[in-house]
Amino acid sequence: MLKLNPERKKEFLDLMARRGWDLLLFYGDTWRKDHFRCLVSVCFCGPQALAVLTKEGEVRAVVTHPWDVEPVKTATGGSVTYVPRLVEGLKNCVSESANVAINGLEQMEARFVRAVQEATGKTAASATADVEEIRRVKTQEELEWIRKAALLADRGYEQFVRVARAGMTEFELVAEVEGYLKAHGAEDNFMLVASGGTEVTAMKPPTARKLQVGDSVITELTPQINGYYAQICRTLVIGPPSEKQLESYAIFAEAQKAAQDLLRPGVDISDVARVQNDIFRKHGFGDYTGPQYTRVRGHNLGLYPDELPHVLENVHYTCKKDMVIICHPNTYLPLSGYMVFGDTLLVTDTGCVSLSQTERRLFQA
Amino acid sequence: MKRGLVTWDKGELPPEELASRLAVVHNVVRTKGLDALVLYSDVWRCNDARYLSNYMPYWNRAFVVVPRDEKPILLCSLSPRVYPWIKTVTVHETIVASPSPPASLFKLGAERGWKRLGICDLDGLPADLHAELTSGNTELVDISRAEVRHAPSKVEVQMHARAARMAREVLEKEISNAKAQTDHELTGQLELQLRRAGAEDVVVLVSDGTGTPVPPCGSAVRPHTSVVVAIEHNGHWAKVTRNVAGMTSSLPARGGVTELREILSGPYSWETIDDAATPAVISLTLQIQARDQTLYYGDTYLQGEEGLRIL
Repeated sequence: MLKLNPERKKEFLDLMARRGWDLLLFYGDTWRKDHFRCLVSVCFCGPQALAVLTKEGEVRAVVTHPWDVEPVKTATGGSVTYVPRLVEGLKNCVSESANVAINGLEQMEARFVRAVQEATGKTAASATADVEEIRRVKTQEELEWIRKAALLADRGYEQFVRVARAGMTEFELVAEVEGYLKAHGAEDNFMLVASGGTEVTAMKPPTARKLQVGDSVITELTPQINGYYAQICRTLVIGPPSEKQLESYAIFAEAQKAAQDLLRPGVDISDVARVQNDIFRKHGFGDYTGPQYTRVRGHNLGLYPDELPHVLENVHYTCKKDMVIICHPNTYLPLSGYMVFGDTLLVTDTGCVSLSQTERRLFQA
Repeated sequence: MKRGLVTWDKGELPPEELASRLAVVHNVVRTKGLDALVLYSDVWRCNDARYLSNYMPYWNRAFVVVPRDEKPILLCSLSPRVYPWIKTVTVHETIVASPSPPASLFKLGAERGWKRLGICDLDGLPADLHAELTSGNTELVDISRAEVRHAPSKVEVQMHARAARMAREVLEKEISNAKAQTDHELTGQLELQLRRAGAEDVVVLVSDGTGTPVPPCGSAVRPHTSVVVAIEHNGHWAKVTRNVAGMTSSLPARGGVTELREILSGPYSWETIDDAATPAVISLTLQIQARDQTLYYGDTYLQGEEGLRIL
């Protein structure tokens, strides 16, 4: 199992050489473990963990939970220090006058950044954007993990369809899917849900609302395998779908297909958003493509379930081979309320392929 | 991630309890000569905001702003489309869409003529927010968490105790049935039962008897397997550890037994602490050497000057 990614390590060392950095710090906290895991793939259990990559290629680490010492040491082969307060360990892991850059600096507690600066006598640079750019294009090993996560997302959605029924609460439905995903090896899962009709304007954590006949039940499932996420978005109707639900679904399916048909290396991500929005405009629903009704038309995937770039008409980024992007034209429509539909797409040499195998249809329970 | 039931049960967390916590903050605002006090919140550091307003975000960042003698205002990076739901599970009546919480805070301050703001644990803010706030013209005063949050109240302790009971009951039942399972299958059962019972978050770690507890990896559950379950129920964490062998240990720990203390009522979901006297809700996990295997056993306690009381 990939624990210390040699390809990534080489890319990070090249980045350090280009930028003139002596040390590159990878700071993860419990929300943004990805900033740490892009070098050391260990799901740490303390509040924070920090890996230090020297320009000579040595990796050492500081962890804030004693149970993280053993797995991080096994992964890095280098020294691992446990400190209950990260600020105490930071001072000893950087050397005076070193040029230090930090991946995840923005999320770091301000006192941690200050501790680094006091120890080196220099201002630490943020490496977050540079590292994210490296992370966007996946290695073949990373793609294998994402394929496994996409397969599990498919199986998780099968379970969603299997168990959803009228009278069940939203949180009971989520419990069934969470239990299934964990039993089948998911490390974590990001999942939002909503149920109802035209009053539904967004997905959120599940409530105690009971599913009713005629409801659209919408979800995004995002299981994580060995750190890597894949996502699927589908809509299910309790009982037979109405004409308006079918009409709405057809627009979402057309929009998602437009994105998938366009996505290839060299395409500007803003155009991937535009072709989705154009479908809504064509059907007279252009007003529902803005921030009042929707967030994004997709996003990058990897060690974080909502990686940049976001798929938006005002975001410009040239897509590259081996990026993994979910395109989901999720939005509110007056026909059916908020609806979701999306697949995880891998950018290939000439286009893209869907890693999601779940049928493209409006599901029924 | 918080993707279970996020709710406000006013039977277990009465509005009067939140009002009394808010009164403490209002008193700090007045006595320190502040215009408002600000608490930071994100997915994993939401305990301070939850304590004051019951806001438990499933994603993104926010500031809870307590102006002098006013109800708290939420500056929230989530979409306004979820604000109706947030209002049903928190005390917040005013929520301001805030892609950048510092920018929204400055705008709010400019509208109201604020000159002096208290920030709960200023240096604990994420570095980008800290830089943005400290680059403004508003005077910032660091307010320690201890001034805002006193020792756990009776209500708070009861809620941690309820979470601990849930974790204990489900873990003890499931671990007794787990001998033919993998740790993934056992984790799936724990997730299913705990989320059905209303937990909004569940974290499971497993030790195979030879190493420290780590996320499950698909190994078979064996007699020396120990399982750590941390759950969050209505914003209150509990952590319980049991082993298949059924080995327990009495307190205080004796020879061959190592203690791990973690605070569950601090800013993070859990953090290791050395201090054994500060009033706090903690988890205490014991590492027990049994021949050539290591077993773990633990529970959730109220720590005080008188010692430990199991919750």
